[in-house]
Amino acid sequence: MTSMTNTARHTRPRRKPVDGWRWTGRIFLVLMLIYTVVPMAWMLITSLKGGFAAMMYPPQWIPAEPTLENYIRLLDPKDTIGQDFLRYFWNSLWVSTTTTILAVFVAVPAAYAFSRFRFPGRNFLFFAVLLRNMFPAVIFLVPLFILMRWLGLVNTHGSLILTYLTFGLPLAIWLLKGFYDNIPIQLEQAARIDGATRFQAFLLIVMPLSTPGIIATAIYSFIGAWNEFIYAATFLNKNEQMTLPVGIQRFFSENTTDWPGLMAASFMMSVPVVVLFLILQKYFVRALTEGAVKH
Amino acid sequence: MRLKLGRAVRGAVVSTMAMSLMASSVLAQSVDLSKWSPEYVRSISGTEEYDTVGHCNGVVPTDYAGRLTFWYQGVFEGDPEVMRQNYRDFFDAFRATYPNIALEEQGITYNELLDKFRTALLGNAAPMAIRLQILGGTEFAAKGYLEPLSPEDVGYSSNDFWPGAMKAVTWEGTTYGIPTNNETMAFIWNADLFKQAGLDPDSPPATWDDVVVYSKQISEKLGVSGYGMVAKQNAGNTPYRFMPQLWGYGGGVFDEADAAPTYGEVRLNSPASKRALQASYDMYVRDKSVPVSALTNTQADNQAPFISGKLAMVISHPSEYARMLELAAAATGTDKEVADKVVENMRYGLIPTGPDGKRAVVFGGSNIHILKSEYVEGGKVDEQAAKALICMWTSPEWSLKLAWSGSNPGNLGGFKTKWMKERLDTIPFLDVTTSMLPYGIPFPALPQAPEIMNIIVPDMMQNALTGSMTVDEAAEDAAQKVEDLMGGGL
Amino acid sequence: MNTVTGQIRPPRKIEPVRRNVLQTAWSHRGDYGYVLPAIVVMLIVIAYPVYYTIDLSFFQTPPGLQLRDKKFVGLDNYQAILSSGVFWKVTGNTVIWTISSTVIAFLLGLGCALALHREFVGRGVMRAILLIPWVVSAVAASYVWKWLYHSDFGVIGAALVSFGLADRPPNFIDNINTVLPSLIVVNIWREFSFAMIMLMAGLQTVPDQLLRAAQVDGASAWNRFWHVTFPHLRGVSTVTILLLAVANFNSFIIPFIMTGGGPSNASHIWITHIYEFAFGRQRWGVASAYSVLLFIILMTLGYFYVRALSKGDESRQG
Repeated sequence: MTSMTNTARHTRPRRKPVDGWRWTGRIFLVLMLIYTVVPMAWMLITSLKGGFAAMMYPPQWIPAEPTLENYIRLLDPKDTIGQDFLRYFWNSLWVSTTTTILAVFVAVPAAYAFSRFRFPGRNFLFFAVLLRNMFPAVIFLVPLFILMRWLGLVNTHGSLILTYLTFGLPLAIWLLKGFYDNIPIQLEQAARIDGATRFQAFLLIVMPLSTPGIIATAIYSFIGAWNEFIYAATFLNKNEQMTLPVGIQRFFSENTTDWPGLMAASFMMSVPVVVLFLILQKYFVRALTEGAVKH
Repeated sequence: MRLKLGRAVRGAVVSTMAMSLMASSVLAQSVDLSKWSPEYVRSISGTEEYDTVGHCNGVVPTDYAGRLTFWYQGVFEGDPEVMRQNYRDFFDAFRATYPNIALEEQGITYNELLDKFRTALLGNAAPMAIRLQILGGTEFAAKGYLEPLSPEDVGYSSNDFWPGAMKAVTWEGTTYGIPTNNETMAFIWNADLFKQAGLDPDSPPATWDDVVVYSKQISEKLGVSGYGMVAKQNAGNTPYRFMPQLWGYGGGVFDEADAAPTYGEVRLNSPASKRALQASYDMYVRDKSVPVSALTNTQADNQAPFISGKLAMVISHPSEYARMLELAAAATGTDKEVADKVVENMRYGLIPTGPDGKRAVVFGGSNIHILKSEYVEGGKVDEQAAKALICMWTSPEWSLKLAWSGSNPGNLGGFKTKWMKERLDTIPFLDVTTSMLPYGIPFPALPQAPEIMNIIVPDMMQNALTGSMTVDEAAEDAAQKVEDLMGGGL
Repeated sequence: MNTVTGQIRPPRKIEPVRRNVLQTAWSHRGDYGYVLPAIVVMLIVIAYPVYYTIDLSFFQTPPGLQLRDKKFVGLDNYQAILSSGVFWKVTGNTVIWTISSTVIAFLLGLGCALALHREFVGRGVMRAILLIPWVVSAVAASYVWKWLYHSDFGVIGAALVSFGLADRPPNFIDNINTVLPSLIVVNIWREFSFAMIMLMAGLQTVPDQLLRAAQVDGASAWNRFWHVTFPHLRGVSTVTILLLAVANFNSFIIPFIMTGGGPSNASHIWITHIYEFAFGRQRWGVASAYSVLLFIILMTLGYFYVRALSKGDESRQG
């Protein structure tokens, strides 16, 4: 380090470190933080108000009588909504986890194939897979419902898992393909010279190197499935099956809305994914830094 | 919470209501609709005992074994506790009465019910029986999804239900459902804001033109909104609040406000209809006396400003009123003072009339239907089980209890039960909404009605209020759309 | 192709006879096994709905008839859509919505990625917070923003009034001119984190030595960015922008929940308009025709998209 600065002194005088940019960067970040945080803060604040207080105008930033009653109600097993909320939570967890695991199992081999192999129809199939990303969810509601009915999957979580699988696949396949493209083929060739089959080489050498990609796939699938609302609302009719986004609709009655309850439920619904994401994103970025992507 | 009708108004209630009732020329068997008034309702309450279980046993024996899937508009956290309790009681009572019927009931939120039902029908996965809002049923009857069903099928008489309600469940001469409950809305205002603005705190605006004037006065003097207009598209409660205005001025979509409507002629662009739209325009654009957010507001969005004293007048559903009371009662600390003040100043009265004294309100409610077997999940409808449930649901006792804080029993016998007496004593607001029932005009009983009410009418309002079109143009455009729709076009 | 590098060059021989497609496919049959699960899943969930939609687009479904009794009308539905004035307005909205959301979200994401690239105290926390909007449910976010924007008692309006910037709370979502920009702000709020993540990962690939060398040579920050950093981001940027564009084109929840397409069609984009035809008016035939138009546009864009990706592919495979 010191030698570097000495050398630098002998060339053009060192310009002042880019203070202008750094300060711009800082101000920009602060603004973005405000932009990001204000709605979440509002959600939280509203959830701490009682029903009457939530309707006051001008809106209070600091609730005069903050209360945890909305949260307590959601978690209270004796209250009907408490029982339901827990059930919705469990359903969401089940659906999201299954979707994620299956997505990884389906996307990884496919991405590998698209990366390594040249077979007829490769480009077409790749295009077709990515195309799924382009079809708006809403358009397919009725035909998919009919299809699920035909498959006997209405009112089961299977219908959701099957549908959600296709949401995450295009991005997953693209992402993983990118990883595989960057992994030098020499590694596999070395393994095969040592006697491994192509599949073994894939499983034992290549796949572990793409762990960050797999994690990214997992995160994307999980979050997508967790938050998805339209299909869950259409395919599930029984209370016992419903996932969180659907369950939250019950805060809306014909003529009234239970805002604090809704906000509390929304907040609690967000917590698991946020936590999961925060834990995993650090790992993900660190793994990237440690070198899978560098040439 | 004082009821102030005034003798003159009461007289007006009786006579005008008698006119609209006589026109349908059907007298109820057990209740004399020609005498309808708060006093009459009080006088008949508690005068009869009904044996629900005994009666229904005669229709479907209590040991009948079967299975039933049933959907209804569920009551959840946004609804008053007493309602939720009554629903729980009903299902308990049903299971106790018919222990061998496996009932799978599913409460679905108001916003989702219609769409879910339509989707389910497309996939042949519908429930065997369903309770739907009054605007919804005709579409399904017209499409051939429903089994014929009338009160006689469960041992009641069609004369025991409101004529307007029976009209709404009839399609091409056949009855396809039974009314479970019916309600009308009333006018609520904040007496304190009226007083501050120099208006008589105890009397509501008499006509819709008065509403415009009051709204302007309040917003000018006090800087708060006058009337709580709603104009959101594809949101159920917009038509419930605009149609009374439209009908009051003598207009209408067709001739649905007339005694014997034929729905032949479109009247959305008649001078009377245009006057009604003009009134809204005056309030929103000219005077700016209503919330700016009216264009994306549903009635639920009006509650907050009303409770905070930032909105003076609304058309309110009885269930909202109960909910607001419940919220106010649960307020704590410093909020409690505000809450008490609000409650103390809530007044309610009849919906305003048009310039000619015509008073109208939407005849709302719900009906219960049975589906045809081929559209049902499982392919077979257990009719007996369905009738058992329907018999109980539409009995005087339960049609009252299940409509406790938000509505009125569909079965007129419910007005004679002892529970009605109890209800009248505890919820004075009901006096007004109950007495408005005879003014109720049901929506046109056509399969096109949902689209007309939920999309074309609010579109018309939005076009006029945003200035995209003039009032005239908006009305003509809407009338044209209705014509096209009825003619089978896009 | 790649599998032959490193091996001894085969002795010159006559070119083998060209095999036809089927023989090639057969010889690669093991490969198909890798992609089979993905293809099967996609087929099930896409093939039937696409067929159904295309089929239904040629029929009319009046409110008095069941769906199966639909009437054949040929291309009438398409004609009706293309000749309606509202369609073109909605198209305009869709274009504005998609382009604005994509470009601005990308730029904001880029800005955040750059600003967070350097280590500093609190960086981890900041990064974490900035990722939250993407993770929160769109439904909940829509309701919260709707409240924030409320023309009469929204927080943003109240804040502006109390800071003296306005007399009355401004009209965000009830005004036909400001509604679309207001919704775009919400959409960007949700999406910029995605761009940020992608670009953060991309930034990791920029070799530090190059940057440092450029700095030593006296290149300004802007030049360093433009000539060193950005070229390395090209691949990631292309994909991010395309993914964002597609997602925005199809984003349904925010406009649907916040304004339902109103007021007066000012916030309808194609997808919400289709929903209104299908579920609001029960015009399944028209909605299907509309959807088919949407497919065609997307497929065209998609073709160019994949071509761009593959090109980048080929050049990297070398």
